[in-house]
Amino acid sequence: MTLTLDRAPIGEPLVFLEASTAPEVARRLAELGLRRGAHLTCVQRTSGRGRVVSVAGSRIAIDAATLVRLTVQPISALDELVRESA
Amino acid sequence: MTEVRDRGETTQGYAAPPRPDATLARPRFRASRGATPSCHGDVPGAAAPAGSPVVALVGAPNVGKSTLFNTLTGAKRTVGNWPGTTVEVGRGVWPTTRAAATCDCETCTCPRQAEPVTFTLVDLPGAYSLDPASPDEALTRELLVDVEPDELPDAVVVIADAAHLARSLYIVAQVRELGLPLVVALTMNDVARHRGIEIDTYALAEQIGAPVVAVDPRRRQGESNLAAAVLGVLDAERPAPRAVDLPGHDGSPCGAMCPLADCGLEDLELADERFEWIDGAVHAGTRDTGDARRVRSDLIDRFVTAPVLGPVIFLAVMWLVFQITTTVAAPLQDALDGIFTGPVSDGTRGVLAGVGLGGTPVEGFLVDGLVAGVGMLLTFVPLMALMFLLLALLEDSGYMARAAVVTDRMMRRIGLPGRAFLPLVVGFGCNVPAVAATRILPNARQRVLTALLVPFTSCSARLTVYVLLATTFYPRQAGTVVFAMYLVSILLVVAVGLLLKSTLWRTMGADPLVIDLPPYQLPTARLTLSVMWQRLKGFLRTASGIIVATVCVVWLLQSIPAVSGAGFGEVPVSDSVYAAVAKSIAPLLSPAGFGQWETVSALVVGFIAKEAVISSWAQTYAIAEPASEREPGQLGAQLHQTFEMASGGHTGAALAAFMVFLLAYTPCVATLSAQKREIGLRWTVFGVLLQLVVAWALAVATFQIGRMIW
Repeated sequence: MTLTLDRAPIGEPLVFLEASTAPEVARRLAELGLRRGAHLTCVQRTSGRGRVVSVAGSRIAIDAATLVRLTVQPISALDELVRESA
Repeated sequence: MTEVRDRGETTQGYAAPPRPDATLARPRFRASRGATPSCHGDVPGAAAPAGSPVVALVGAPNVGKSTLFNTLTGAKRTVGNWPGTTVEVGRGVWPTTRAAATCDCETCTCPRQAEPVTFTLVDLPGAYSLDPASPDEALTRELLVDVEPDELPDAVVVIADAAHLARSLYIVAQVRELGLPLVVALTMNDVARHRGIEIDTYALAEQIGAPVVAVDPRRRQGESNLAAAVLGVLDAERPAPRAVDLPGHDGSPCGAMCPLADCGLEDLELADERFEWIDGAVHAGTRDTGDARRVRSDLIDRFVTAPVLGPVIFLAVMWLVFQITTTVAAPLQDALDGIFTGPVSDGTRGVLAGVGLGGTPVEGFLVDGLVAGVGMLLTFVPLMALMFLLLALLEDSGYMARAAVVTDRMMRRIGLPGRAFLPLVVGFGCNVPAVAATRILPNARQRVLTALLVPFTSCSARLTVYVLLATTFYPRQAGTVVFAMYLVSILLVVAVGLLLKSTLWRTMGADPLVIDLPPYQLPTARLTLSVMWQRLKGFLRTASGIIVATVCVVWLLQSIPAVSGAGFGEVPVSDSVYAAVAKSIAPLLSPAGFGQWETVSALVVGFIAKEAVISSWAQTYAIAEPASEREPGQLGAQLHQTFEMASGGHTGAALAAFMVFLLAYTPCVATLSAQKREIGLRWTVFGVLLQLVVAWALAVATFQIGRMIW
């Protein structure tokens, strides 16, 4: 089950899958730790429907328009997949 | 000047990303740099002895580069706990010592005693990588990658945040690929420790292939170790560029271990390789990732960045700043005012009478011009000090980055990204550095729009006039009146932004907001007081020079008669050239309710700098009625009379119109020169016309509507 970051439940551990943004934004996100496979959590909603994301000990504020372009997967869903395949 | 290579050309193998379009002056490491006019008082370039090694400080934004630069050089660059504080290259002299040898072997060539050594230290704008996304980041790349080999620094110190190590190491990976002598300085070690992160500097150094030194510039720790590490890499052979094992990679022109510069990897492949290298270094050098351990900052952010509460808290914080500023400083201002209008003026008069100059134009110039003007400026020192202190506390605590998040929605409406809020906030202190701070924006149109909006942010020089008028006309509500002016300023920025967006830049899209929120920290007294003092000093330096110069010019114009039959200095001000010029402009401002020449002349002087508005009033009224003794509060009474006469009794409406005009029209010539440098003459002229039209229209509307109420 994948979902965009604007829909991810607050506090749920997630894995970062993809950034469908302009390349320079994707690069900046990667520099800040948001790259494929990174573990993250949404910790806070902000004004303008943005969010604060926790990744590698940092807190990154991201606006609403960018959030819908970031795909993540809940770790719980990954665990379920692993259990099923086992 | 350094030549910039064409887009896409490679230097030492780097595929140069498209350079954000800008027309910035590009300083070099080994050339002196012109000073930038700044109210913030950043130091211009200092010079080390010829031949001193050049050491460049680089690193991600907000890792403490400028704090370390200030600590090592004793300079006073603007620092703050928010990304994008440094937008220009700073130079300084780092005097240190080479430690004496501890061995006793006879053949050793090490120094027997500690030797003084001097470095030229260069502070570069913060950059997460050498792939720039904005002009300030492009500057860092240019000076490390795009320059000729003889222009490269002798050593590079990359400042890395120990609490967010992975993010700091991307630029380390890239600098290692350049083959430059490198030292990694770890900052924020206390924050890392607090979060349970332990860093093994030896293991990290081995993995990186360069010395790693822990420093704490906020507490002046680790300086000598850093100096020793820099001397070590300068004495050692130049390191080989970082290589990578690329078996089977078709694009690789070399053997098994290939320098990344020559390996022919695509950009994305290169980035992946670097991230792998970083993960390896972090894994080897740290014992904890520190995930999810910012309980205190998260708890505060739950309120401070919340959708509804966040903007409310932002407004409350700003209101508190101005309320504290005006109420706490008021008694101190009164005391200083009493000293200048009393003993200092009387003493000067007494001395002049003693040398036979009593009652002459010289007395008018010295007592009513210089003493009154400089005295008036000094009465504002407690107020400015307090405001600078409070803003420095907010910056150092980490709140400003949250303010950018909270205001992002509003900024988006006017076609600007949340990051544009940062230069606009700087504008509330002084417009000059704010215009320079527009360089943190990646898009040229956004920079032009922001630079055009900066003059509508109410700078601290305008604050002095608000306070004088508010305390004169509404002494009990002075704090609220001043706060209202700041609200009007914010509304004006939004309204003019919307106007420009809907006319000139209809197609401009907004950039995404992706901003790092640094952990909250307790501001240190040394740093906060240092920032406050630098800004206060900058304000006083600019203001005192401008005030003395304008006092002289105003005195001269007031002494030249505009009527025939009178000699130099023998006419009342109302018959001088000064009044004649103001009277010719005054009818234009009659619809706004303040078309008196006394008020208009102050606005003309205020075009040069707002710091001079009050002193020009003091001069005008003191010379206009030479027979009366000046008493504390007399200027207020004169202003009351002027506004009442000009407005036909609608004093409140005229005062509001005047304050709106003062807020909206051109802030000062220094801002214009900064604009010319950043966005060119054409846009600067457009900006001046825009400010004058907006100021006039708003002032007329305010008075015409207000006169129906007041």
